[in-house]
Amino acid sequence: MVDQLKNKILEVLKALLPLIIVIVILQFTLVKAPANVFSQFLLSAVMVFAGIVLFLLGIEVGILPAGKIVGAGLMEKRSLWLIIAIAFLIGFATTIAEPDVLVLSKQANIITQGAVSENRLIYIVGIGVAFFAAMAAMRIILGFRIAYLLTASYLIVIILSFFTPAEFVPLAFDSGSVTTGALTAPIVIALGIGLSSVLAGRSAISDGFGLLGLASIGPIIAVMIMGIIVH
Amino acid sequence: MSEMTIWGNMGTTALGVVQAILPLLVILLTFQALFLKLPRTYVLNLLKGTLISASGLWLFLQGVQTGFLPYGQAVGEALGSFAHKWLVIPFGFLFGFITTWSEPAVRILCDQVEKASAGSIRKSTVLYAVCTGVAFFVALGMARVAYSIPLLYILIPGYALAIVMLWFTQKEFVSIAFDAGGVATGPIANTFLLGLGLGLSWAAGDQNTVIYGLGLVALVALAPIISVMALGFIIRIRIRYRG
Repeated sequence: MVDQLKNKILEVLKALLPLIIVIVILQFTLVKAPANVFSQFLLSAVMVFAGIVLFLLGIEVGILPAGKIVGAGLMEKRSLWLIIAIAFLIGFATTIAEPDVLVLSKQANIITQGAVSENRLIYIVGIGVAFFAAMAAMRIILGFRIAYLLTASYLIVIILSFFTPAEFVPLAFDSGSVTTGALTAPIVIALGIGLSSVLAGRSAISDGFGLLGLASIGPIIAVMIMGIIVH
Repeated sequence: MSEMTIWGNMGTTALGVVQAILPLLVILLTFQALFLKLPRTYVLNLLKGTLISASGLWLFLQGVQTGFLPYGQAVGEALGSFAHKWLVIPFGFLFGFITTWSEPAVRILCDQVEKASAGSIRKSTVLYAVCTGVAFFVALGMARVAYSIPLLYILIPGYALAIVMLWFTQKEFVSIAFDAGGVATGPIANTFLLGLGLGLSWAAGDQNTVIYGLGLVALVALAPIISVMALGFIIRIRIRYRG
């Protein structure tokens, strides 16, 4: 773990330095933000650095390997319904618990002037994610091409966007990114790779990935439909 | 003076992290107990990893919220006061690239792609594709705020392009591309770029900040979908050219 820690420190340093250097240069040439805003940025950059090192370390030593084993273990049970149920549950539970969804639901409440209560939006987005996560898991098992699912879903998104009230559109698209919380994303990626790794004749790349991408369409469609119904 | 703000809301952030991870752990552990019955070492590793990651995420989120969001706004306001509006476009490009470059979840995805493809798709190739895509779209997003262009004018053609591309690109890259759309909108983009858009919109004055200041995140989600599929397209052409 010590070697891994050293590697992570170097990697995160390389990742963060460009952003920090550019901001320091801009501060003295162009932006000239108040000293306390700038010093707060520098202090927080140290926290962000330490935080990302720990975050990536934990993902590498614990979450990714365990997630893959769990995914593979699930597949060995050979029960389509069990896997779909778990995908649905994980999609729903992680979404309604994600702090970003709460922020989103408050925005929705303001935009609709209370017509959409915060709880209702949270559940709608949760069901949207759950439905698409279950479909994505089913796709891995049955092995049909992700292109069909993606094309159909995004065509629905485009068509719905013409009927959705204007103030709901940014909200709907923003909600798509909310579902992919920092900690949820790696776990979902690992589960997908694990699921596809057990099946014969599956490509680890085209079948193992894509779960996250599909799951984030769910809330876009769910929020758009909600916007249409409310108006 | 700044110490107060740095540590403020520490508890709320911690609660958010715990709240986000708890349901997932509960579900996995329940299924472990009922169906999976995997060896104990895996479970312990999962718990250990989760603990380390969650504490890292706590520091990380606290840092971006207290430092990156306000500074992003300061940069946005400074850009908004430029005499030449078009200057926001190169700056958008620059910030789009370097924020994605530092986003940790993007690196996890790129790492996993390299491992799953047994090295045939390199980590750095995907990373450059994602960062370049976001750079283009943040530049576009900044222009949108500066010139008050409706979000849908970019999103609908963008997603239509994505639908067409996914039938012509290398198959493996479709799945990666859509996942990349998910990871690119991580905590750094959600704070720094959000602040940048809001600051720019405020500086523009007579704009509805809710309509124009937001929406940058939606573009960041679309960007890597297109750029990673474009990468797959290039690779496909190269293979055909050689063969």
